[in-house]
Amino acid sequence: MNGYIFDWDVVGRALPSMIQGLGVTLQITVITIVISMILAIPVAVGRMSKIEVIRWTAQGYIEIFRCTPLLVQLFWIFYALPALTGVTLPGYASAVIALTANLTAFMAETYRSGFQSVPVEQVEAGRMLQLSRFQQLRYIIVPQAMRQQLPVILSLNISLFKDTALVSTIAVADLMFISNTISAQNYRALEIFTLAAFIYFAIAFPVSLITSAIERRMQNTSGPGFKPGPSLLARMMPGTKVAATKVAAS
Amino acid sequence: MSRHSTPAPARSTDLQQKGTQMTTPVHAPVSTGTGQVLVSARGLQKSFHDRAILKNVDFDMRIGDITVIIGKSGSGKSTLLRALAGLTDPDDGVITFDGKTVFADKKRTKDWGAVSSEVGMVFQAYTLWPHMNVLDNMTLAPRKTRGMAASEARDRAEAALDEVGMKHHILSRSTQLSGGERQRVAIARALMMKPKLILCDEITSALDPPVAAEVLDVLRRLKEEDGIAVALVTHDMAFASKAADRVVFFHNGEIAVNTTPEMAFENCDNPDLQKFVDAVRF
Repeated sequence: MNGYIFDWDVVGRALPSMIQGLGVTLQITVITIVISMILAIPVAVGRMSKIEVIRWTAQGYIEIFRCTPLLVQLFWIFYALPALTGVTLPGYASAVIALTANLTAFMAETYRSGFQSVPVEQVEAGRMLQLSRFQQLRYIIVPQAMRQQLPVILSLNISLFKDTALVSTIAVADLMFISNTISAQNYRALEIFTLAAFIYFAIAFPVSLITSAIERRMQNTSGPGFKPGPSLLARMMPGTKVAATKVAAS
Repeated sequence: MSRHSTPAPARSTDLQQKGTQMTTPVHAPVSTGTGQVLVSARGLQKSFHDRAILKNVDFDMRIGDITVIIGKSGSGKSTLLRALAGLTDPDDGVITFDGKTVFADKKRTKDWGAVSSEVGMVFQAYTLWPHMNVLDNMTLAPRKTRGMAASEARDRAEAALDEVGMKHHILSRSTQLSGGERQRVAIARALMMKPKLILCDEITSALDPPVAAEVLDVLRRLKEEDGIAVALVTHDMAFASKAADRVVFFHNGEIAVNTTPEMAFENCDNPDLQKFVDAVRF
């Protein structure tokens, strides 16, 4: 430890401010996820459109946001966009816009892959039963695609939660910004950033466990004769091997 | 039979045989139905990437008939089914359903929408929506497309499931059913829309023979009790010989033989059909 004495008092004093910062982080995360999950549907549908202009526009959008760093996107919206439009956005709004635009691109690709994983026969069965294109999407494709892609969607959301730390660079008072400020005031970087890391971990780890559990459950529920197995909690634990209970196909 | 009130114009080319290989004697149709033509296709053509899949196909189906369509993979039988179902448009030709022209001049006519709900289709696999239980699978379309009340839809679902012997599974998830059970529910789901024609694309190919027999029994009952016409693409020659009213043999995108099961399997001198039947039997 290089003779360093860990000061627990610093942790206690910094915690209330950092929890406030966590509130901002969670706010940005939730708003971004909700908007992205909705916006990604039309983008994904556009990406699969038979009309070239729509397809190329959707793909262009996705590629721009997938292939440039999130920090550059954030700075571009906060610093460059005002130069272009003359409108200066507050840091919070810039952060939400940049993160939403970025997550929407990734989410749209996830949706598209999910949509395309739905067997064409199921969509055609809907067509044969007179369901409209929208109804096919609403009742057949989206529920299955969501279910299929849920682990990926949750992973993207975990990444987004961690990536919100970047908004501290445009002076949004999130957990990372508060941590940085406190650390600059008391020179206790080890305590403060360890605490910050712990808080991020405490939020992200349970979601990661749930993601793993859902993934395992999905692997086990395919095929005929599935019967629900052990509880979600049992399946959540890392490395847990849970065999699905099957009944003999009649 | 009362559902089929519109008499369709009788076509004279029901038993056409095409090409130079056509040597099978032509016989009158053996039908348990009224003899009225329900579906008629004339000069159907369809190509994919310059490969002709349907070459000027003429085809008739009568009310209450089971027509078994056989042929090698890629011979055009599934494409014909998809064209009749409206899942793919022919490049050319005319399709008439229940006396109404629904496809002509390379496009669907205004009558298409009205009759498309009278055609049901069951697929080879992935037939049910796995995220729903049997009841939801059955009632989604009637509720959403016809505004049927949930209670009425449930009653109708119970009746349709009863018809295929699956009523006790009404609340089961589709993933809990065996392959044969899923196909029977898929047939019942098609019945919910009260079709006059059910198209079945190799629905028994992934099933064990006894399970396939159960599914085929259901189709036979529908034909006998409800007068529903069934077009069935299959490689099950046992079923084709027992239950089919007509056997249509596709070869290279053309209907090479269109006759009775007896003629097709016992007295046929079409070499391609003989070769195909021998290959499938053994």
